Amino acid sequence: MMKRFAWTTAESPSAAASAASTICAEAMALTDGATDGAIVMAGGIDLLDLMKEGLLAPARLIGLRDIADFGAIDLERDGARLGAGITLAALAADARIRRRYPALAAAAAGAASPQIRNVATLGGNLLQRPRCWYFRSRHHRCLRRGGVHCFAHDGDNRYHAIFDNRRCAIVHPSTLATVLVALGADVQLTDAAGGSRRLPLEVFLTPPAGDLTRENILQPREILHAVHLPPISEGIRMAHSKRGEKDAFDWPLAEVAVVLDLEPGGRCRDAAVILGAAAPAPHRAVNAARQLVGAVIDEKRATAAAAAAIEDATPLADNGHKLPLFEALVRRTIMAAAQGRLEDSILR
Amino acid sequence: MQQSDPSAQFGRSTVTLEVNGTTRVIEVEARTTLAQALRGPLGLTGTKIACDRGACGACTVWLDGSPVCSCMLLAVGVGHRQVTTIEGLATADELHPVQQAFIDEDAVQCGFCTPGMVMSCAALLNDQPDCQPDDVRAAISGNLCRCGTYPHVLAAMHRLRKDPAP
Amino acid sequence: MNAGDDSAGGPSDSPTRAEPFPYGILGVDLARIVRSIPADEPPPLAPNAELAIIGRSATRLDARDKVTGASRFTVDVGLPGMLHGRILRSRFAHARIRSIDASAALRAPGVRAVEVLAQPTAPHGSNASTVRYVGQPLAAVAADSLAAVEEALQRIEVDYEPLPFVVDLATARRPTAPPVYTADDAPRGSASGYPAPAGLPLHGNVRGPAIVDRGDVARGFADADVEVESDYATQVQTHCCLEPHAIVADWRADGLTVHVSTQYTSGVRHELAEAFGLPLAAVRVIAKAIGGGFGSKSTLGVYGRLAVGLSRQARAPVRIVLDREEEQIDAGNRPSTWQRLRLGARRDGTLTAVRLTSYGSAGVGLGAGVWSLAERLYPCANFLGEQHDVFTNAGAGCAMRGPGAVPGAWGMEQAVDELAERLGIDPLALRDRIDPSPVRREERRIGAQRSGWFERRPPAADPGPIKRGIGCAQSLWMTNVQLNAACEVRVHRDGSVEVFSGVQDIGTGTGTVMAQVVAEVLGLTPQAITVRIGDTRFPAGPPSYGSRTTASITPPARTAAWHVLQSLFREAAPLLDADPAALFAHEGRIGVRDDPARSIALAQAAARSRTDFVSAVASRADDYAGFDVRMGDAAIARQYLGGVQFATVAVDTETGIVRVERVVAVQDCGRPINPRLIESQVQGGVLMGMSFALFEERLLDRHTGHMVNANLEQYKLAGACETPDIEVIVLENYQANSATDAYGIAEPANIATAPAIANAVYNAIGVRLRSLPITPAAVLAALGKIPSRDAP
Ligand SMILES: Cc1cc2nc3c(=O)[nH]c(=O)nc-3n(C[C@H](O)[C@H](O)[C@H](O)COP(=O)(O)OP(=O)(O)OC[C@H]3O[C@@H](n4cnc5c(N)ncnc54)[C@H](O)[C@@H]3O)c2cc1C
Ligand code: SF4
Ligand code: FES
Ligand code: FES
Repeated sequence: MMKRFAWTTAESPSAAASAASTICAEAMALTDGATDGAIVMAGGIDLLDLMKEGLLAPARLIGLRDIADFGAIDLERDGARLGAGITLAALAADARIRRRYPALAAAAAGAASPQIRNVATLGGNLLQRPRCWYFRSRHHRCLRRGGVHCFAHDGDNRYHAIFDNRRCAIVHPSTLATVLVALGADVQLTDAAGGSRRLPLEVFLTPPAGDLTRENILQPREILHAVHLPPISEGIRMAHSKRGEKDAFDWPLAEVAVVLDLEPGGRCRDAAVILGAAAPAPHRAVNAARQLVGAVIDEKRATAAAAAAIEDATPLADNGHKLPLFEALVRRTIMAAAQGRLEDSILR
Repeated sequence: MQQSDPSAQFGRSTVTLEVNGTTRVIEVEARTTLAQALRGPLGLTGTKIACDRGACGACTVWLDGSPVCSCMLLAVGVGHRQVTTIEGLATADELHPVQQAFIDEDAVQCGFCTPGMVMSCAALLNDQPDCQPDDVRAAISGNLCRCGTYPHVLAAMHRLRKDPAP
Repeated sequence: MNAGDDSAGGPSDSPTRAEPFPYGILGVDLARIVRSIPADEPPPLAPNAELAIIGRSATRLDARDKVTGASRFTVDVGLPGMLHGRILRSRFAHARIRSIDASAALRAPGVRAVEVLAQPTAPHGSNASTVRYVGQPLAAVAADSLAAVEEALQRIEVDYEPLPFVVDLATARRPTAPPVYTADDAPRGSASGYPAPAGLPLHGNVRGPAIVDRGDVARGFADADVEVESDYATQVQTHCCLEPHAIVADWRADGLTVHVSTQYTSGVRHELAEAFGLPLAAVRVIAKAIGGGFGSKSTLGVYGRLAVGLSRQARAPVRIVLDREEEQIDAGNRPSTWQRLRLGARRDGTLTAVRLTSYGSAGVGLGAGVWSLAERLYPCANFLGEQHDVFTNAGAGCAMRGPGAVPGAWGMEQAVDELAERLGIDPLALRDRIDPSPVRREERRIGAQRSGWFERRPPAADPGPIKRGIGCAQSLWMTNVQLNAACEVRVHRDGSVEVFSGVQDIGTGTGTVMAQVVAEVLGLTPQAITVRIGDTRFPAGPPSYGSRTTASITPPARTAAWHVLQSLFREAAPLLDADPAALFAHEGRIGVRDDPARSIALAQAAARSRTDFVSAVASRADDYAGFDVRMGDAAIARQYLGGVQFATVAVDTETGIVRVERVVAVQDCGRPINPRLIESQVQGGVLMGMSFALFEERLLDRHTGHMVNANLEQYKLAGACETPDIEVIVLENYQANSATDAYGIAEPANIATAPAIANAVYNAIGVRLRSLPITPAAVLAALGKIPSRDAP
């Protein structure tokens, strides 16, 4: 059962920001996650989970549901602005998003379950805490919760990271983040005074080196207000694939988002290959992209890129299977994107 | 032993909920989930709690017609949205077609997952009268059934599918 | 019975009569056999084709309540003044409890009762002072609200002295492993698994072996032309009933009433009477709707006793509902197993020797064997089985859908496929040779046709990365019968009918099949029968486990209905001016068999009854052909249950993902009473077997002993998207053994699925997976695709 807390709602992002005296990550590094501060709640899917598990006990929650237009989708010139309060279901169903950013709509449609997608928000999805099972256990106060030990390294790490996993081996939990980073999205943060800063999502999801207690640089008194998507030019192709042990309602073992910019002749002008469920943040496979840029993409190129994507991996004792899995998925997703398919749909 | 209610000091709040078309006013704590409020003060025990974490769908109700896990919502956060529970699906003398089809196809074993399963299926049928088997699978992908009723749930929905107008 | 005669199931010197019964498999060898049966048993029931209600898919009687949310499960029971209870559990996998102080909890606001299980260490280390797994109950609190309970639980001071522990089977087997028990405090016999006979030696954590030694295996292997030997392993599976374990205990001066989510109301009554020193008459157990059991709700459990203790202390009703984490760590599980199987055969396939060695762990409990499937499915003169239980610091296992037989088939049904390949014989052809069961022979024949077996290709025949294959496996299960099973049928003066038994319906449709049987006898529809079950105030009900419920309760239901009908015939005879023996019941009327135009409404006959209703109580008679085994209230019929399943799978050899595309399940359960309910059961068995094969696994951290996936999100259950196309075919296999000749289905439907999938995976990719579950990681490892720098 959750600890008691008080409940209020905010009517505007700046009001929410001024009420948000702390953030989830800060509180969870304290004993039992108990804080006398206030934390914002969007859909609550992650927050309530953490509170029920006894990992987080804020004195106050601030509901964001009453903020006007918090879930709006605006098309600005050719890009798009997504309100942080949009639900995954609404994102998946929006005809404009499906047309322009089909991989994003597909990723939203494939995350969690219909019931969760109807409540979970874009902002909450990007800001949810990792699913490492030690992190999520009140009996294991690990590094990421302010403890001194990583239980995953000598424990069961089958679902953990294969990159950047030396100290803490979480994988970033957000399905949307993988695609959004591939698309080159920005986030807009609003503070208590109503001021905004805008920065690439990829930067936002990079906490200061050495700070293991957070997965982003959100500050207290700050709200994730919106996500901006760049315009889609003629030659852009995108695809997103994921594989879990189960087909649906399961966390991916591997997830890949590919965005290609192809010249009319088919030569690849630019490429982003992002791996999800691979590292503490969406993992940019720079070497894989390098294999693609300047080339006409065929099976051979894709195979080379796939090999490059995993060459720096440092798997742990129980997650070596992620290497062949990612290799196959990267290759297939590149081919799907190049051929104008949304995802690699072989046996999922 | 003291008999006082330890929750008193924390101040319960009064919440107005629109449930199955009726306005209900209850006293809850901020931490009371919608599922708890339904099953407790509102006496609507058809909504089940099996995992209390959003992972099984037994607690599925509709919020403004869309299926949600009532165990992962705060009662104080529901606001003016319409809550529909399994008790609100049938009219006094007529079952919802999904309920009837579940009976006809024996899409029911122990019945514990059934209210949630029915709510997910009925929502799908409202949105997509011509739903195909894969749509049904996706729509109930958040509803776990340990007894294994999925094949008969698919059969029940097959019965109800309206083929799209030619 | 109304005649004051209660000889059904009585001794064999009671009067008998001979009757011709249908006997054999419909479509194969259905014939007649004359059996001598107790005089008060009803006459033989015709084959299903000649019946009106039995053999037809009547609608489940409680389906309407279930789809409208009206069913009242134990978690929905609220009594006036009810308190809430919760349990304090060990945080350590192994610890001595130096002290436990609950005095502050007792003083906490709202608290009404506290029960403490663990007592500080006695000088010689008594059993109660040591905790042996994470989640072991230590104490319980009842209070006005759950919030008050939780606050009070935090005030219980426990001083633990952590001890070394071991959670995995392989490590626990080593002589150097930390001992879970000493010889003095180890459990001595199992509650519900196979096999755990008393009196076996304990070395370290290894108890056993339980030995079955028949013929001469050394000789058998010497005579063999070929041999195969492999090791097979299964993981721990948890039951994951959607309704958690739940109880509302109401202790009052005039007796104890408990509402409980149980598979056995009568059993719980006995447990409570014994535990609390109450007469059976003072204990009432009620279970109206039960949200699944699968073996885990066979007994009351510690949580149930705690609830009753709290209620006794508080003099108020107490409800305890386990949460999902408690369900996962302390509500039973299917034990893990490891087995080595060695088969010797002649070139024609004849088995010359079978050698089985197994080690399994039911945590701190016993019963982690692989049963006698390897010994019985394919008879072999030379058999040596040595089975061991290994203690680990984990929650106790218990029966789960086909206990022992599931891991038993996992090994044996793959070993037989391996042997077939070695011999160059088709796996079905080999089984035709070495399996004497005519039932399974027919099941193989049908299944082969329905599944496309004859298009089966050699292993790894597909050229691309996606490879498809087909596999088959067989099951064997005991045809269990509970003799302590009774039913009362009442026909009221207005013709309305009630059926009573303590038996519970855990989702199998027990009440519905009882109504069908009674309706068949009385010439009514099942809807016309009011079934009242799940209450020990009614005649003794059998448990809903061991696939014995239908076999145990439908015969007495028919017998009781038949006796009532004879009374109604006596009332009707003068009105119809006919001999009672010349009457029959049909469509709500009683008529003269030779002159059907002469009839009266059943209610007209009932109206003449001397008292408000005509009633009869009957109990389960012995099987007419006698039993194979009889132990107290339970027995096993002569012929076992079979079942053959065929799985078609697709394997992505690049991602390791396995999808089951289709399963054909050909099963038998004696006389099928309700085909659609049986289909539901079989689909459930197949899905649980598939989920076991591909997804499920309890994961315990080896350094902390905690289950890391104690939820329904990381403990993975198959959902609708993973559900294959399942075709169910059920034989009519008449045994001439009881008033209904019906047997069970739930467990046999679960036994063959996993090995059928494994055999299919082998056929698809040419590599055999002998450990469960078959995850992408396991497949990629088996294919040699995981870079070698990873430690195993
Ligand atoms: C069973 C299950 C399966 C799941 N499967 C998947 C999956 O496959 N893929 C996937 O991506 N996710 C999955 N999820 C996670 C789920 O999608 C996230 O929990 C959800 O998206 C969180 O969104 P929310 O709006 O409910 O966030 P909340 O719980 O409300 O908030 C999450 C965090 O973000 C903060 N926050 C929220 N909005 C803002 C804002 N605008 N500004 C500042 N801070 C904010 C909150 O303070 C909190 O710390 C699953 C969850 C469950 C329970
Ligand atoms: S991987 Fe990270 S979150 Fe998980 S136990 Fe280690 S430090 Fe904690
Ligand atoms: S009880 Fe709400 S999803 Fe399981
Ligand atoms: S019917 Fe029992 S869990 Fe679905």
